[in-house]
Amino acid sequence: MVANSPLDALGDPTRRQVFELLQEGPRSVGELAAELPVSRPAVSQHLRVLESAGLVTHRRQGTRHLYELDGSGVSELRAWVDGFWDEALARFKAAADTKGEAS
Amino acid sequence: MSDALVIEAVRKTVTVDCVVEEAFRVFTADAISWWPTETHSLYEGKVREIVFEEREGGEVYELSSDGEKGHWATVVAWEPPDRIVLAWNVANADALATEVEVRFTADGDGTRVDLEHRGWEALAEDGAEKRANYDTGWDHVLGFYERRLG
Repeated sequence: MVANSPLDALGDPTRRQVFELLQEGPRSVGELAAELPVSRPAVSQHLRVLESAGLVTHRRQGTRHLYELDGSGVSELRAWVDGFWDEALARFKAAADTKGEAS
Repeated sequence: MSDALVIEAVRKTVTVDCVVEEAFRVFTADAISWWPTETHSLYEGKVREIVFEEREGGEVYELSSDGEKGHWATVVAWEPPDRIVLAWNVANADALATEVEVRFTADGDGTRVDLEHRGWEALAEDGAEKRANYDTGWDHVLGFYERRLG
């Protein structure tokens, strides 16, 4: 199984930590590994999964590879959560209206 | 090229108390029984299996308890029970690889296992640092293998 959906990718606690650290700004694999209780190869693996889920992207800066959040992927995730919330509110309103008619 | 970067290979030898066939089998097919996956893996603490696809071109990978696959290497030579050569690029099958060769040789009643990890030049400026990590890393990892076959 490859966690290529954003929610699957964030299901892993280490990946959530990587994702949260990248919210603070771009970082290299080494910098992430220094802040987490896992090895550099493990960080690379988790970055690859986050990248395949569209949540993280990387670029070269001189000789360094920097990883950062992928705005479009994060927007999709947010749209999903917003859609879920709109749906929930619509259902709540419908339920409230029905109840109002009944009383 | 007079300025070509040359980095010495990492070489390790351990001797185990079993025949060559068993030493080879445990190293590959039964790696999960000895490899220190808690510390030396991609899904540290969550590794369920280590798979050696037993053919040239096969993949070596770990499987996490969530069923996620973490790439370790590609099999360059598969010559049981004497020798394997792996193109080693943990976490990224598309990345430049170093090369790990493991030889199994009868030595009295036991087996001598020689590991050579070479080709650091491929990693350019990262090569020296990675070599240093693997130099101590292989001592640690092979120590578990040696104790498994005590």
